Amino acid sequence: MIPKVPAWNRLRRRLTLTNLNSAVPLGLVFMALTVGMGIQLPARAMAAAAPPEAETAKAPEAAAWSAPDQVDAQKRAQEVVPFVAEVRDECKLCRQQRLRDEGLGVKDQSHSYLLLDSPIIKRTEDRYGPVRFMHSKHATITQDCALCHHFRPADESASETVRCSACHQDAFRQDHPERIGLKAAYHQQCIACHEEMAKGPVGCIGCHQKNAPDHKDLVQLPANPEPSQVTSECLRCHESAGKDMLSSAHWLWKGPSPFTLDHRKAVHHGKATTAVNNF
Amino acid sequence: MGISRRNFFKILSVAGAATATARTPARAWESQAPSEAYGCIVDLTRCIGCRKCEQACNEVNKLPPPDRSFEDLTVLDRKRRPDEKTFTVVNRYYSGRIDERDQLIPTFVKLQCMHCQDPACASACIVGALSKQENGAVNYDVSKCIGCRYCMVACPFEIPAYEYHDPITPRVMKCTFCYERVANEGKLPGCAEICPVEAITFGRRDTLLKVARDRIKENPGRYVDHIYGEHEAGGTSWMYLSAQPFEKLGFVTLPDHPMPRLAETIQHSLYSYLWSPIVLFGMLSGIMWAFRGKGERQEDHEGGNL
Amino acid sequence: MSHHHAAPTHSKFWTPGVVALAFVAAVGLVAIIARYIGGIGYVSNLSTARPWGLWIGVDVASGVALAAGGFTTAFLAHILGKHYYEPVVRPALLTAMLGYTFVVLGLLVDIGRSWAIWKPMIYWNFNSVLFEVAMCVMFYLNVLYIEFLPMVIERFKGRVRLPGAPDALNRAIDSLLALADKVLSKIMWVFIIAGVVLSCMHQSSLGALMLIAPTKLHPLWYTPILPLLFLTSAIAVGYPMVVFEATLATTSLKLDSEMKILTPLTRFTVFLLGIYLALKVGDMVIRKTYVYLLDGTSQTNAFLIEMVIGVLAPWLMLLSPKVRQSRRWLFIACTMVVGGVLLNRVNVFVVGYRPPVSETNYFPSIGEVAITAGLIAGLMLIYRFLVTHLPVLNKPEKEVIA
Ligand code: SF4
Ligand code: SF4
Ligand code: SF4
Repeated sequence: MIPKVPAWNRLRRRLTLTNLNSAVPLGLVFMALTVGMGIQLPARAMAAAAPPEAETAKAPEAAAWSAPDQVDAQKRAQEVVPFVAEVRDECKLCRQQRLRDEGLGVKDQSHSYLLLDSPIIKRTEDRYGPVRFMHSKHATITQDCALCHHFRPADESASETVRCSACHQDAFRQDHPERIGLKAAYHQQCIACHEEMAKGPVGCIGCHQKNAPDHKDLVQLPANPEPSQVTSECLRCHESAGKDMLSSAHWLWKGPSPFTLDHRKAVHHGKATTAVNNF
Repeated sequence: MGISRRNFFKILSVAGAATATARTPARAWESQAPSEAYGCIVDLTRCIGCRKCEQACNEVNKLPPPDRSFEDLTVLDRKRRPDEKTFTVVNRYYSGRIDERDQLIPTFVKLQCMHCQDPACASACIVGALSKQENGAVNYDVSKCIGCRYCMVACPFEIPAYEYHDPITPRVMKCTFCYERVANEGKLPGCAEICPVEAITFGRRDTLLKVARDRIKENPGRYVDHIYGEHEAGGTSWMYLSAQPFEKLGFVTLPDHPMPRLAETIQHSLYSYLWSPIVLFGMLSGIMWAFRGKGERQEDHEGGNL
Repeated sequence: MSHHHAAPTHSKFWTPGVVALAFVAAVGLVAIIARYIGGIGYVSNLSTARPWGLWIGVDVASGVALAAGGFTTAFLAHILGKHYYEPVVRPALLTAMLGYTFVVLGLLVDIGRSWAIWKPMIYWNFNSVLFEVAMCVMFYLNVLYIEFLPMVIERFKGRVRLPGAPDALNRAIDSLLALADKVLSKIMWVFIIAGVVLSCMHQSSLGALMLIAPTKLHPLWYTPILPLLFLTSAIAVGYPMVVFEATLATTSLKLDSEMKILTPLTRFTVFLLGIYLALKVGDMVIRKTYVYLLDGTSQTNAFLIEMVIGVLAPWLMLLSPKVRQSRRWLFIACTMVVGGVLLNRVNVFVVGYRPPVSETNYFPSIGEVAITAGLIAGLMLIYRFLVTHLPVLNKPEKEVIA
């Protein structure tokens, strides 16, 4: 494979300059290319929803800016607040009624965007990335705070609603065996409600990006690999992805390519016909 | 032969002495269940059938990679059993319940060793390779095992599997209750730790029973009033809560008494201090002595009088 | 013990029948080699739900039951002192010795870690029925070998002539044999009684093996008195087995038919088999398991065959003196009893074993059958070899051996 360097550069410049939001896809494309050329990247960079610092290395233009609410949410997700041991014992209806009486509602929310992520969960495992949670959107649709904020701390001075991780922390606490942990609280709440409303994802990757394992150790390539070696190394594990690729438009497309040097009039130009690593 | 003969006599004489000094009648059978046993409650109303427990179990026990990925949920289309490469499996059942949109509601059932309170497998094992630990786990010690597979015959839940294709050093394979992790590393069982919805609650068995009863009491409509494993086979460390009657979900109906009770009672009442063989031996010697020399005249005893 | 006239038969060894047996044994050997290369799973149909199959049902359980002739005849002739029956003791003893040897060989094939078979000697689990069975079988096998020794000594005493060995050595061995003979005849009574005690223990415990699996064994067989049933059936099958085997041996080696001994011997069987039958029927009535009898499943059919053809019919036949005096009918009746007990063991360990969760069916594979058949053929070959060369069978009265 001979990289078409000028064309590639032009494409990259166009993407990065015109559309900041494309930072993620660009990161991907770039990574795919670098991996393809035998440069091994740290694993985290393989995750599509990679946090900004992963992109800084490759696309400096994109790292300069990050949405303030994202930064906020990240910071907030890292906090561990003191455990709320006792909650006020009230039924759901009573609570809904009381919130109405006190005039508390959707308008009072202080955070419209949250990242569901916590060191509490990371202590035991780290297989999936955080979930981006549109708090305000969920509030607007359900119009019911008590759906999720189902109890309040027994302590009168505490805020009426607290974050999930105030009451739900580690699983299987000996002092509160009935209290479920944070991970289970999230999943039980989200999945059950999504199922009940027949709305919203219920599977893993509907909400999470999967943390791909560290490919640094998985990929086994010689020092200066042939392009075809690289492809077959990918296929060693991602065989079905390879098969899917063969039925994709990307692979099957054929035709003239007016912008590609030497191939302007070739009718049979296409991944499957003139690309090199099609074995 | 000489040695075994001598041993034999040694055992006989020791046992004889023991019988002479302590002719106690065999005591009633008593449960050996540890008081501080840990356990798990599997709440089938929570399980979403994601197979993450299977994956974690595979990883923490360093089992061979599965034929099909753990993310492949079509595996659930077929009922599976734990085997020599899988300590735990999740099966899907449709018990006929439907939701508002007329969809069948599935119930997922995770299977693994129940870590019985008085395990039949441990009672059966010829060498005591299987044993109930203080922390509740029924542990397997491969260095003792001879591979007779009596444990598999005995287990009422049909759990232990065997490496039938290993010609020389096959092992009995079953859930370990992550014994090493729990007892020595202070961690949680792999499956309980990873379960995203805490369908598996880990804790002291007595605490768990309280938790389970509370869950049933607080949500009477959600659960059938039965904790599977509280009494089954004398009680198990792993227990289940369900919305459906357990018979509909592939659970065996078992008696409430521990499986080993009858056999152990017979064994101990007959053979404690080897009293019965010794008595029999004495009786037979007596008979032999009494009939000594009498046989000579038996020659024609059957001749024609048929 | 020395006044009957057992002698080596010295008949021709390689007859067509023997060649056929050797072939079956060779096939079995090939299967055994395959088992030690590919594992148990390679030659058998055993699975998680069906961990015990043909090998345990036939090689072990039936093998032990059918070797019961050894201790029942020893009891009769030596303990009750009815020396009239002396002539059948030796062949029965030989069968028992070979039977138990093959039980152990069968076990070696069946257990996953054959090389670890000694471990129960140091790791004891007194709760385990199997532990008790194993210990008894081990001791009993030694007892049987000791009981068999006199036959070897009798054959070689005063005649030791090792090819190429110096005279002194031959004489030394000779005197050793003489000494052993003297010592053994003094203490043999201990072993005879021990043999009976050990037999009673493990014959019954073999039945207790299944008591731990109440949900798996069909209720027609699962009963708390299973150990008692195993013991009584083993005792009952002892003499019929002697008849069966004596008839086969005397026919094939063209010896005297020994009906003079066999006919009275089976009078005891009427009584013993009657006890077994009564216990079986009584148990069925008390536990009300007769409701299953006409279910028509393979289990209930196997039970009916076992009871009717294997116990009831031969018992009724043996009631008649005519049957007991006719060589052919006696053989038929005894074969039915032997078959009935064999079927009972197979039923308890294989047919009646229904794991309720997986409900898997089991049918022995070709490899399993080959190994079992091979072991039995090997057993018969050795039997024939030993009776040819050792004083086991009664000297035929008509011919005189030079
Ligand atoms: S479920 Fe079976 S293997 Fe597990 S402890 Fe109980 S008897 Fe043993
Ligand atoms: S197979 Fe091993 S663990 Fe099972 S009963 Fe036999 S010796 Fe014990
Ligand atoms: S307790 Fe451990 S061994 Fe048992 S199923 Fe869970 S992860 Fe597997």
